[in-house]
Amino acid sequence: MPIIEINNLSKSYRVYQKREGLLASIRGLFHREYRDVHAVRDVSLSVDKGEFVAFLGPNGAGKTTTLKLLSGVIYPTGGSASVMGYTPWVRENAYRRKFALVMGQKNQLWWDLPAQESFRLHQQIYRIDQRDFQSTLDELTELLDVSELLSRPVRELSLGERMKMELIAALLHSPEVLFLDEPTIGLDVVAQHNIQQFLRYYQEQRGITILLTSHYMKDIAALCKRVVVITDGTIKFDGSLAGVIDSFSGTKLVRLQLADRQSADGLEQFAEVESVELPKVTLRCEKSAVTKTLATVLQKYEVEDVSVEDPPLEEVIADLYATGAATEQATQEVSR
Amino acid sequence: MPIPPEPQHPSYAKVFLTFARNSLVRDMMFRANFLIEAVSSLSWAVMNVGFYWIIFEHANSIGAQTGWEKYEFFVFMGTTWIINSIVQAFFMPNSEEFSELIRTGGLDFAMLKPIDTQFLISLRKVAWSSLANLVLGIVIVAISLAQLASRAEDPWQFQPAMLVLYPLYIACGVAILYSLMICLAATSVWLGRNQTLYDFWFYITNFSRYPMEIYARGWGLPLLVVFTFVIPVLVVVNVPARLLAEPLSPRASWEWPLAGFTLLATLGCLCFSRWVFRTALLSYRSASS
Amino acid sequence: MSEAAALDGGRPDEKAGLTTRLVCWWTIFRIALEERLAYRGDFALGTLMRFLPIITQIFLWWAIFESIDGDLVGYSFPDMVAYYLLSMLGRAFSSMPGLASTIAKQIRDGELKKFLVQPIDLIGFFLLGRVAHKLAYYTISTLPFALVFYLCRDYFTDGWPSAYVMTMFCFSLILAFLLGFFMDLCIGLIGFWFLEVSSLLFIYMLFNFFLSGHMFPLDLLPSGIQAAVSCLPFKYLAYLPAAIFLGKIDSELLWIEMTTEVLWLVILICVARLLYGRGLRRYSGYGG
Repeated sequence: MPIIEINNLSKSYRVYQKREGLLASIRGLFHREYRDVHAVRDVSLSVDKGEFVAFLGPNGAGKTTTLKLLSGVIYPTGGSASVMGYTPWVRENAYRRKFALVMGQKNQLWWDLPAQESFRLHQQIYRIDQRDFQSTLDELTELLDVSELLSRPVRELSLGERMKMELIAALLHSPEVLFLDEPTIGLDVVAQHNIQQFLRYYQEQRGITILLTSHYMKDIAALCKRVVVITDGTIKFDGSLAGVIDSFSGTKLVRLQLADRQSADGLEQFAEVESVELPKVTLRCEKSAVTKTLATVLQKYEVEDVSVEDPPLEEVIADLYATGAATEQATQEVSR
Repeated sequence: MPIPPEPQHPSYAKVFLTFARNSLVRDMMFRANFLIEAVSSLSWAVMNVGFYWIIFEHANSIGAQTGWEKYEFFVFMGTTWIINSIVQAFFMPNSEEFSELIRTGGLDFAMLKPIDTQFLISLRKVAWSSLANLVLGIVIVAISLAQLASRAEDPWQFQPAMLVLYPLYIACGVAILYSLMICLAATSVWLGRNQTLYDFWFYITNFSRYPMEIYARGWGLPLLVVFTFVIPVLVVVNVPARLLAEPLSPRASWEWPLAGFTLLATLGCLCFSRWVFRTALLSYRSASS
Repeated sequence: MSEAAALDGGRPDEKAGLTTRLVCWWTIFRIALEERLAYRGDFALGTLMRFLPIITQIFLWWAIFESIDGDLVGYSFPDMVAYYLLSMLGRAFSSMPGLASTIAKQIRDGELKKFLVQPIDLIGFFLLGRVAHKLAYYTISTLPFALVFYLCRDYFTDGWPSAYVMTMFCFSLILAFLLGFFMDLCIGLIGFWFLEVSSLLFIYMLFNFFLSGHMFPLDLLPSGIQAAVSCLPFKYLAYLPAAIFLGKIDSELLWIEMTTEVLWLVILICVARLLYGRGLRRYSGYGG
């Protein structure tokens, strides 16, 4: 029985199209042009309890919108969704007590007050029993190593510390489902790593279900077994991280270690030469042609070592984003 | 003993107290600012008193035969300050922030909480410094009543019913103004940036700052009707001030029906604001990061 | 030539030619105007609402005049209404909503640093922005203003004033704009020394409102206070233009008033320059 079930979910909205120029601005006072943006179209997805799923996609692809739809913050224009048996946008208290949303770019803690005060407020709002509250808070602050910072005003915390506090605020009521929208954005490598480790530990301990969007491949590689690629509001891929490379990259990298004095001249006849740093040479060739190319090269050159690899994930994703952005431009419908 | 069921609703009173407490902690962190704010809102009030003082130097009542002579009018003005300061302390900062939350997408967090969103949005912060005017309002009312009670002809007399009716109608006035304000703030969902919210609020409530009799002439009558029955800002101060400043009986024939109507209007306004708020949430788009 | 390089304002001895400078100023002006026009809903509402307080004022004074006989310090009831309408017009020129707070905020957020880096003159930049702002406002609000004045034409019992008085009136409006701008600017620039100016701003606005004659004609004040208030620059923002139009100031005094106003303007420009120069030096001294 899946814990999150999404069927043909769609969300589109109209935006005011601002035109360049003074005259156009004045005209804009009397007559406005709108454009329909389809942020999410016909998304269907099902997630089982205890899964840690990553949403991958370029900016504006609809990842955040999907999370917001699942949080009940915005209403869909079509389709249905059910999280733990609730329809999110009905916004029942019972549902809202069971999940949490963390957004890396927005903060919910009171800026001028110590985080502790915001946590107390959460305790009241979620009606958390004092003993549970204290033990959860102790556990979380210890895991994230922020016990000393609890009484310091939030505005004095570093970005990483603030994010940790945001996480604590979101987890105080022990949600069963957690939505994370770019939780590590703007953080340095150490803070990123800390938060990754914490999330992995917490998710394994509690067995909660987490949906995460991130631009950092490291986050995703470290945390998620399942990856959903969204571009242009639709799901392009759903499977393992390795599967992303399989299905989106048509090429492989062949790395050769040439023998001494063997020159790399002429290799470009057989495959695209990625780099030459003698004695190392990297070739890129179509998946289907790997065996044939390799056979030819081995025959004609003196090679000491050879390996065949997938292209790096970042590269595949970057290509994916680039094609996604191109199609997005083409599919936005202009209307009045 | 059976295990109590998991509480579904937070205790609203406790949440509110936490809000009030947090706001106070925050205000006390910026103590100088707090003092300056209190002083500046007080000086605004004092300037208004000064203005009317000057007017009463030249005239002895607002309108002929309306009964709003100097001290009756100061009771009216004191009541205005009391009501406005309550609204400004509890609702104004939140309504302003509501527009901001809509614009920046910060409303997301409020909507996630298992608590009535309107409650959360309306009472998040308390501007304690605005309560300075509440004190001033009470002082003005008290002094004016003392003046009225000690005058030679037709002195003012205390009646026990005032103790119930005056606070009741103050509460009604606050509720009506709150409804209006939250409706205005909610329009930022459709209008985008809504800087003029505060202006609009000021201009509309401006009508409530004067005795309603002044509109009862010429082309003021349609205004009187609109601002009594459509947007009932005229009853906000007029009804409680009138109850206090003038003897309960005899009364003009229209006063008791007006008082009854005020109760209905309060209820209507609250329901309407709730409806507007909900509709606004439906249209909320959540500004992306 | 890049735009930043072209943005040379305050210093006439720089190499940039007059045309380049004009082009640059025009660009700034146009951007400011476009920015203002982008928020249509705000605009329409704001302009409409501006006239509501006048209505309550009319009724208040109507009621007050009912309980007294004849004039009030030389104002009849129609005069009083005309005064309020004219002072509104004065305020439309002299009020600078958000100017001081924007400057103070930019100082606080460090945004103002760009004026240290780019060859733009801050005061000129803000002045142009404000002119654009006002022009955008007038394009939208001329119609409602004309309508209200037309509807209320009966309150102007003396009809149009003479051409001379009219000229002085227009002149006083333009001076009111400049005076209002530099007063607000100075308050904003105080932000270099005090990070939190919002309260100061509020008190300034209060005095402005009360002492500029926006709340009531300054003639109503008791004579002692009136003499003191007359020495302050606030009265030029609303009271003076209205009083000129209504013929409350005879022609000899008019010249003195106008000269004093120009003097005030010069003083304020100097103060603003001084504050800006000192503030900027102090600002860059932080190094942060």
